[in-house]
Amino acid sequence: MAKEESSIAKTAAEMVKGLAGSYAVTLKHLFRKPITEQYPEYKKPLPARSRGRIILTVDPDGDERCVACYLCSAVCPTSCISMESRERDDGRRHAAWFRINFARCIYCGLCEEACPTLAIQLTPDFEFCKDDILKFVYEKEDLLVNHGGRNQEYNFYRHAGLSEKGEKGTHINEKPPVDVKSNMP
Amino acid sequence: MPRLVIDDLQIEVPEGTKVIEAAERLGIMIPRFCYHKALGSAGACRMCAVKFIHGPFKGLQMSCMIDAQDGMVVSTTDEEAVAFRRQVIEWLMMNHPHDCPVCDEGGQCLLQDETVSGGHGLRRYPGRKRTYHDQYLGEFIAHEMNRCIHCYRCSRFYQDFAGYRDLGPMQIANRVYFGRFRDGPLESPFAGNLVDICPTGVYTDRSSRYKARRWDLQRVPFLCIHCSLGCSTVASARYREVVRIEARFNESVNGHFICDRGRFAYPYANLADRPRRARVDGEDASLAEAVRAASGRLDQISMNAGPDAVALVASDRCSLETLAVLKRISREKGWRHPAVFPRPDLEHKTRRAVSRLDRRLAVSMRELESADFILAVGIDPVHEAPMLALALRQAFREDAGIVVMDPRPVSAPFDFDHVAIAPAEIGGCLSRITEALSALQADSAAQGKETRRPEAAGPLRADLDSRIAGIVERLRGSRNPVIVCGTDIVRDSTPDRAADLARLLLQLKARPCLFFVLPGPNSFGAVLLAESPGRSFSDVVQDIEQGKVKALLVVESDPFKNFPDRERLERALDRLDLLAAMDYLPTSVVGRAHIVLPTCTVFECGGSFINQEGRVQRVEPVHEGGIPVHQVSGGGHPPRVFSHEVPGGEIEAAWRTALEVAGYTNARDNLSILKIMAEEHPGFARCRDIPTSRSFRVLPDAGDRPPVCEETGDRAAPEAADTLEVVLVDRFFGTEELSGYSPVIQNADSEPLVFLHVRDAEPLGIAHSDWISIALEGGGLEVRAGVSAQMAEGVLVIPRHRLLEWQKLGPVPAQIPFGRISRAGKE
Ligand code: SF4
Ligand code: SF4
Ligand code: SF4
Ligand code: SF4
Ligand code: FES
Repeated sequence: MAKEESSIAKTAAEMVKGLAGSYAVTLKHLFRKPITEQYPEYKKPLPARSRGRIILTVDPDGDERCVACYLCSAVCPTSCISMESRERDDGRRHAAWFRINFARCIYCGLCEEACPTLAIQLTPDFEFCKDDILKFVYEKEDLLVNHGGRNQEYNFYRHAGLSEKGEKGTHINEKPPVDVKSNMP
Repeated sequence: MPRLVIDDLQIEVPEGTKVIEAAERLGIMIPRFCYHKALGSAGACRMCAVKFIHGPFKGLQMSCMIDAQDGMVVSTTDEEAVAFRRQVIEWLMMNHPHDCPVCDEGGQCLLQDETVSGGHGLRRYPGRKRTYHDQYLGEFIAHEMNRCIHCYRCSRFYQDFAGYRDLGPMQIANRVYFGRFRDGPLESPFAGNLVDICPTGVYTDRSSRYKARRWDLQRVPFLCIHCSLGCSTVASARYREVVRIEARFNESVNGHFICDRGRFAYPYANLADRPRRARVDGEDASLAEAVRAASGRLDQISMNAGPDAVALVASDRCSLETLAVLKRISREKGWRHPAVFPRPDLEHKTRRAVSRLDRRLAVSMRELESADFILAVGIDPVHEAPMLALALRQAFREDAGIVVMDPRPVSAPFDFDHVAIAPAEIGGCLSRITEALSALQADSAAQGKETRRPEAAGPLRADLDSRIAGIVERLRGSRNPVIVCGTDIVRDSTPDRAADLARLLLQLKARPCLFFVLPGPNSFGAVLLAESPGRSFSDVVQDIEQGKVKALLVVESDPFKNFPDRERLERALDRLDLLAAMDYLPTSVVGRAHIVLPTCTVFECGGSFINQEGRVQRVEPVHEGGIPVHQVSGGGHPPRVFSHEVPGGEIEAAWRTALEVAGYTNARDNLSILKIMAEEHPGFARCRDIPTSRSFRVLPDAGDRPPVCEETGDRAAPEAADTLEVVLVDRFFGTEELSGYSPVIQNADSEPLVFLHVRDAEPLGIAHSDWISIALEGGGLEVRAGVSAQMAEGVLVIPRHRLLEWQKLGPVPAQIPFGRISRAGKE
C-alpha cells in the first residue's frame, strides 16, 4: 500500500515538474525577442544575387542596353523569352518587342549569364502572383527599368568598335582608324 | 591517284586534291578561313595547319597549300598542330571589336566557331586594337571592316572569280583594307555573294539587317525563280516573314553562288499591300465565298456563251502544279487552254527550243564552265541569265574563247568578241556557220543537207563573212564547243538554227553542246504542258475584242506588265463580263478584277519548276503562310490574344484554289496533285518516286532521229533605211516581274536607258545620256538615251523596265522612224 502511495506521489511530482517546466519555457519565450517575420507586413531584404523577376536595364546614357542579340532567348531552357530585333531609326540594333512569359520562367538565371550587355538581370523580387496567367506575359514596357541594375557603369557600345556610338577609333582601347590612302606606317 | 593517311584513316583522292579537301572527304573538317572550294587556296590565314608525319613533307604545314601525295601520313590532332592553330586564332582575334551581339553574322560565323573550337577565350594582348573606317557599298551590303581577318576571300571572289575590279585589298601588312577606292555601290551584280563567302561579319546582308539569328530561322533548301536558270538557294523565314536568301551549292546548276537578283528579290513576299483578303466586286469576302462566286459566274458564262467564252491566263512564274491543274480544268470544263506566254513568237521559240533539247545535247551550267569555245547568240548574259555570265567567266578563265552575237551593247565580266548584228541577221549567221562547218566535214555532209533550212531572211553583210569564217575555224579547232542561244530577241527560227549547229557539233566532237536560255522560270514546264501550237495572250486579247471571250481567269500573271499596248488591253478587259484574278502580287490586274482570289507565294506553298535545261526542281514551303507578325502587330509586340487562326492564313496555293473554282473539292491533297501532274505529262510521273530534294531532267533520250523541223518564215529586217527596229529587252533589275516588287531592288536600281548606235544617234544630234523623246503609238516616251558604238546599227533597244512606259509601244514588232525620235528639252 505504502509502495502504491509513494508511486502516486512520484507521478504527481513528475507531472507538476513537467507542467512547470513547459510553462517555464513558454514563460521564458514570452519575454524573448521573436524571430518570426511579419510577412507581408515586413519584407526581409534578400541577398542581392537571389533570382526573381527579370528586368531590362539601361546604360549610363539612359538608353536601352538590350541589343536584341537573341542570346538570352537561345539559352533559356524553357524558351520563355521571345523578341524581334530590328534596326532602330538611328541605326542601332534594338528589340522591336521583347517578351518574357513568367508563367514559364524557372528563374534559373541563364539568360543573365548569357547577356553580353548586362541588359537582362534577375532581381530579388519573387512575389508577383496574378489572378490571370496571361498577366505573367511581360512586354518590354513592363520589363524596362530606368537604372543599370547591378552595374551602373557598363556600356557595351563603349567597348564594341561600332560607329553607332562614337567614331571609329574612339572607343576603349582603340587605335585611330587606318588611313588607307597614306603610305605612312 | 594518291593514297594517303589522315588521322589513321586511309583515303585515295584524285591527283591535285589538297590535303584539306582529302580530309573533308573523310569527314574531318580542318579549320580554315581562306580556303574555299570555288576560290582555291591562298595560304593567307594559317588556320589549317596540320602535322605531316611521313611522306614528302615533314612537320607543320598548311593543309590547303599541299597536294595530297602518295605515302603521306597526316595528323590533324597532333599537339603541335593544335597549339599552332590555337595561337593563330588568338592573333586573328587580337583586333576583333567584340561586337558579336550586334553582328548579323553571329550564329553562322566561321570566326566564332573557330575561336570556340580553338579554345580561345580571353584577350591576353594588352595593346590597342586596329580600327578601320567602313564604307557605303550600296543598298545590298553593309560593311564593318573592323571584323576582318584578312583571308582575302572577298577580293579573290570579287576580282578573280566574278571579274569585277571595284573592290579589293589596299594597304600593306597589318593595315590591309578590303573595300572600294571610295564609297559607292558595288558594281558587280554578284556582290551579294560576299555575304556568304566572308567568314566573318565584314559584309552582311542589308536587306535582312538585324532581323534574326540563324538558329531561329526556318530554313529550307530553295530555288530561285527569277530567271530560267533555277539556281539553288536557301530561303529563311521568321515570324511569317521571309528574311534572307543565301546561295546553296548545286553541282550541276549554279555551283556555290547566286546573283543579286536571286538574293534580294524575296521581299516581294512580305509586301504589306499583297492581296491577303479575297474580294468580290470590290467588297472583302472570305476565300470560300469568293471561290463560290467565281465558280458560279464562270459556270454561268460557260452555260450562256459556251465554255469557249472562258479563257485562262497563266504565266511562267506559275508552278508546275498550277499549270498542270489549269490544263486539267480547262480540258474538263471545256474552257480555253491557259495562255502562258505574252506573245506568240515567245511561245513558238520556247517550244522549238524545248523540243530540240535532248539528253545528249543539253549541257548544264557546270559543264559549260569546261567548254573551250562558246558561241552565244541572241543573249545578253548578265541581264537575261545572270549566273550564266559567271559560268562563262569561269570558262574564260580557263582560256575559252567566247563570241557573243547580239545587237545589244553587251557587257560582261569576261573578254569576248562581240558580233553586233541585228536580230534578223543572227539566224542567217548561224546557218552559214553550220553550212560552212558541214561543208568542211565531208563525211558529215549528209547531215548538213538533212537539216537544211530556208535561206535566212535578208542578205548578210559582207563584213560578216570574215567573222563567220573566224568562228567556223574556232569551232573546228575546239575540243568542247558550246552554243548558247537566247529566246527573247531572236527571230522565230533561230533556236532551231542553233540546235542544228549544235547537232552537227555533237557529231563532230561527241560532246553535249547546247544551252538555251528561256524567257522565264517555268517556261520549259509551260510548253511541256501546252497544247501545240499553244495560244499566247495576244490571241486572247484578239478574241476578247471579237466578243468570243467573255470571262478571264488570270492566274499568277500580269498582262499589264508584258502586253505592249496598254490602252488596247484596258479596252479589252473592260469588255469582259468577268475578270477574275488569282495572285500573290498587288498587280494592276488584281486592282481591276471583279473577283480577287489571293494565293500563296512559292515560299508559303512550295512548288515545282523546270529550268532551261529541263531540270525539274521541287521545293517545300519555307513557312506556313499568313501575314507577317511584324505587320499584324504594327511593329510592336504581337497581339496578346490566343487563337488557332493565323491572320491571313486561309490563303492557299493557286492550284488548290483553281481546283476549287472548277468544283473539285476532293482532289486537293498533295498526293492527288502528283497524280494530276503525272497524268498531264508522263515526264512528271517521276515526281512521285523521287524525293523533293533531288532534281531530275525531263529530256528525251536522243536517239538519232532527225529533228522535226517546223518551217517558219522569219520576219525580215526592216527594209526602210530610215527606221529603227525596236528590240525589247530584259535588264538585270527592273524588268523581271517578282524582283520588280522588291523595295530593296527598287532602291538599288538605276535609271533605265534606251540604247541606239552612235551612227544612228549622231544625225539626230543625240549624245549619251541625253533625254530623248520617242513618239510611240500610245503617246510620247521621255527617256535617257544610251549611245554606244558596241551595238548593232538600225536597232532601238528598249528595256521592258517597270519605270518606263514602254507599253505605249502599240503593236509589236515595231519600227520607229527616225523622225519620231528627238532630243527632249528635259534635263
Ligand atoms: S531565368 Fe532561366 S527560365 Fe527564366 S527567362 Fe532566364 S533563362 Fe529563361
Ligand atoms: S542577351 Fe541581353 S542584349 Fe541579348 S537579347 Fe537578351 S537581353 Fe538583349
Ligand atoms: S573582308 Fe571578309 S572575306 Fe574579305 S578578307 Fe576580310 S574576312 Fe576575309
Ligand atoms: S541567275 Fe537567275 S536563277 Fe540564278 S540566282 Fe540569278 S535570277 Fe536566280
Ligand atoms: S585555309 Fe589554309 S592558310 Fe587559310
